[in-house]
Amino acid sequence: MLTVLRGGHVVDPATGKDSVGDVWFEDGKIVAPPAGGKADEDIDCSGHVVMAGAIDIHSHIAGGNVNTARLLLPELHRGIRARLANTPLSTAKWSTYETGRLYAQMGFTTVIEPAMAPHHSLQTHLELNDVPIIDKGALTVLGNDDFLLRQIRAREPESAINDYVAQTVGSVRSLGLKCINPGGCESFKENMRAFGLDDEVPFYGLTSRQIFQTLQKATQAVGIPHPLHLHMNNLGIAGNVQTALDTIDAAQGLPMHLAHVQFYAYGKEGSNAFSSAAAVFAEKINANPNITVDVGQVMFSQTVTISSDVLKQFNSMPGGSPRKGAIFDGDANGGGVVPYAYKISNYYNAIQWAAGLELFLLIKNPEQVFFTTDHPNGGPFTAYPELFALLMSAELRAEMMSRLPAEALEHTTLPSLKREYNYYEIAQMSRSGAAKLFGFTDRGSLAPGAIADIAVYKKSRDVAGMFRKAAYVYKDGDLVVKNGEVSHYKRGKTLHIAPRFDNNINKRLDAYYAELYGLPRGIFDVPDAALPHKDAFAEVACKE
Amino acid sequence: MSKATLDGKAIALDDAYRQAASILSGAKFPLVAGLGADVPGARAAILLAERLRGAFDHLASRDLLADLDVKRSFGMFTTTANEARVRADVVILVGPGLTKQWPGMLERLALEQAPVHGTHAGKPRQVIWLGPDAEEAKAVPGARIIPATLEEISGVLAVWRARVGGRRVNLEAAKLELVDGLAQTLKDAKFGCFVWASAVGLDALAIEMMQALVTDLNVTTRFTGLHIGARAGAAGVTQASGWMTGFPPRTGFGRGYPEHDPWRFEASRLIDSGEADAAMWISAFDGEAPSWTRSDIPLITLAPAGAAPARGLFIEVGQPGVTHDAVLMAQETGGMTLRTATAPSDAPTVAQVIDAIMAQVSEVSPC
Repeated sequence: MLTVLRGGHVVDPATGKDSVGDVWFEDGKIVAPPAGGKADEDIDCSGHVVMAGAIDIHSHIAGGNVNTARLLLPELHRGIRARLANTPLSTAKWSTYETGRLYAQMGFTTVIEPAMAPHHSLQTHLELNDVPIIDKGALTVLGNDDFLLRQIRAREPESAINDYVAQTVGSVRSLGLKCINPGGCESFKENMRAFGLDDEVPFYGLTSRQIFQTLQKATQAVGIPHPLHLHMNNLGIAGNVQTALDTIDAAQGLPMHLAHVQFYAYGKEGSNAFSSAAAVFAEKINANPNITVDVGQVMFSQTVTISSDVLKQFNSMPGGSPRKGAIFDGDANGGGVVPYAYKISNYYNAIQWAAGLELFLLIKNPEQVFFTTDHPNGGPFTAYPELFALLMSAELRAEMMSRLPAEALEHTTLPSLKREYNYYEIAQMSRSGAAKLFGFTDRGSLAPGAIADIAVYKKSRDVAGMFRKAAYVYKDGDLVVKNGEVSHYKRGKTLHIAPRFDNNINKRLDAYYAELYGLPRGIFDVPDAALPHKDAFAEVACKE
Repeated sequence: MSKATLDGKAIALDDAYRQAASILSGAKFPLVAGLGADVPGARAAILLAERLRGAFDHLASRDLLADLDVKRSFGMFTTTANEARVRADVVILVGPGLTKQWPGMLERLALEQAPVHGTHAGKPRQVIWLGPDAEEAKAVPGARIIPATLEEISGVLAVWRARVGGRRVNLEAAKLELVDGLAQTLKDAKFGCFVWASAVGLDALAIEMMQALVTDLNVTTRFTGLHIGARAGAAGVTQASGWMTGFPPRTGFGRGYPEHDPWRFEASRLIDSGEADAAMWISAFDGEAPSWTRSDIPLITLAPAGAAPARGLFIEVGQPGVTHDAVLMAQETGGMTLRTATAPSDAPTVAQVIDAIMAQVSEVSPC
């Protein structure tokens, strides 16, 4: 069936388009306007903005730690309304089903879960499989695992490390590699309570710097399209901007993605010894085009923090609200879940909120900075529409700032920033740039040949409302959302890469698992047969 | 060939599916209980309960909720069996019958070997067993046995906790010395680990006392816990229930969205009170029978061959991991895995049977 979305304001940075025009699609793909073609369906999109489906590059939506958070906090997700027909569990708060529905309603069609532990990847995939409508992907986590740390300690050749990385990333069906407080979680098991860039991991004698530099190189050598996704040391600590600046210097000019950088944009100014250092941080990012970041914006709300940075999560427990938490010492990273309430009246939270916005507004290239709240760590992904609105309106920001503790405004440059994002920049950040960051060539774009993942928003002065309820959303050419409501479910795919490696690593790993755990390594596999549907996965090409 | 019976008499499978759909669709508030199933079976069962606007419960909810209630009211430290095996230098086994709850426990934890990870690698592991069964007490050579009845465990943990915190306890001198020695062992641990199973009868208060002790110990050193999951796939079912509904079993869909209430949606209470007017009972591992007493509520049983009750509709299902490959939570890894069938047969899985029934249950339109 040939469909045309006619007369909308087409915003598609992938093709440089930012003007009124038509978008045609057929059989799930965008097509060029057929000569004299007549559409089977002709949708009037005048007064609407038409973009590719959005891509969330970092959102904790699945896996054991996320599920622990669900089970830990029954009081935070009581339901309130019945579902529509044919959308099972779509109003089950915080369920995988609701996650798919809410993302789709906002025009998001691809979401990346950034922290899949290799030994618990099957559950992550089962959960992702139960997120309807959208496509998904996951990054797997190395850098606190004994095998890698041994390899580095023994000064094994890069080829051996590359094989291990490629084998792991491929076998757990992930899209790439994340490293979370490299060495810090192992050190926490050794009772260290703080861990910086150049602290040594006991037992292995390695520094955090050595670990992530090794993984950075391996990511490039293996041909993983997404650069190493790094959760740095010292998250959330006053003065930690120095860690971030040093980490960028340590990046060797190689590509690297720094996750939720707002949580590292802190100085020690003021009577509270806590200030925004976002300006100096943004300047550094602007000067280092090999670095990409996502923000991890704080939005004022009750939320829960979920992280595989177990050391940090343990240290967060005394400030938790409600006061409870779960700390899991896993085979490598593990995870910590601590509820938290960000309050507009709280000086520290106000600084965090401002620092995130400063980063958005001070980083010049919208394809270098990505749109996240590190869901749910800075706030739920459902707060994205409000965040879009804040980026697009200095007036709205000023209104919010008037409600912050006055002292906080003295320790952020936010009041001086008048920049307002336009639709094009929003689309660069959430569509074209995000696709590039993961090496997706089939999405984030309305060019002919791209999959017909399309979001249509009715223009409104209420920007948050506009982005919260898309007028139409198409997934692979199927209408899935109309007037802000999901009309029916379809199954999305889980995207993964399959890098090549020397098979000898398999023999070596078999022997390692047998010796260390007395277990067959296959117990950690993600076989197709374990998923409810045969076509759950779709492969993304590696770099040559 | 799989089988179905109605009040003990054979009926065709298609008729059984139709009857099951008709019984469940006709009920005002149907219950999907037992839930002794693999993850796909649980997933299908929860989707069925949702479509029916009924409720679901697991046969071992008492045990799984004892752990979960501590986690969600107090908090919890946990680890994997692998991490305990390779790293724990002090292991405290809590309660009797642990080797019955997890027959592979001793082999998996390799307690007689020294830990191999961490700066304490190679130093002998210390094992303490609080309140073991008489026949278990010698199972770990060199383990220190602290005799206690199940009922006494909570009190013993409380005394340990008091002494770890340097608080006074009212004990005779000899006993106090013993306890203080133990408390010192705990404080000196580099990476200590409690191992427990709520299924042996530990209640939430005993588990909370243990986790509170773990929390106190973590102020100065590292300590954690390893819990042994309850029977009939409880751990995997709880995870699936969590991502599908946000809640563990004992959840109902009467209002069109999930509501969790451990009292309201307890299976036996729902049946015995008559609040539920039809039930599906799933017990695919071993055919365990329901614990309710009432026998006039229409019942559909999904269980392995030989477990057909005299009354109601019975549909034979295979045993997860035995007659068919099954996704289950693996106690030895703490993660989900695909278990290969050990004695494959053509008996259908719980998910297949429920999908066949579901195909004949019309979508309930929302209010």
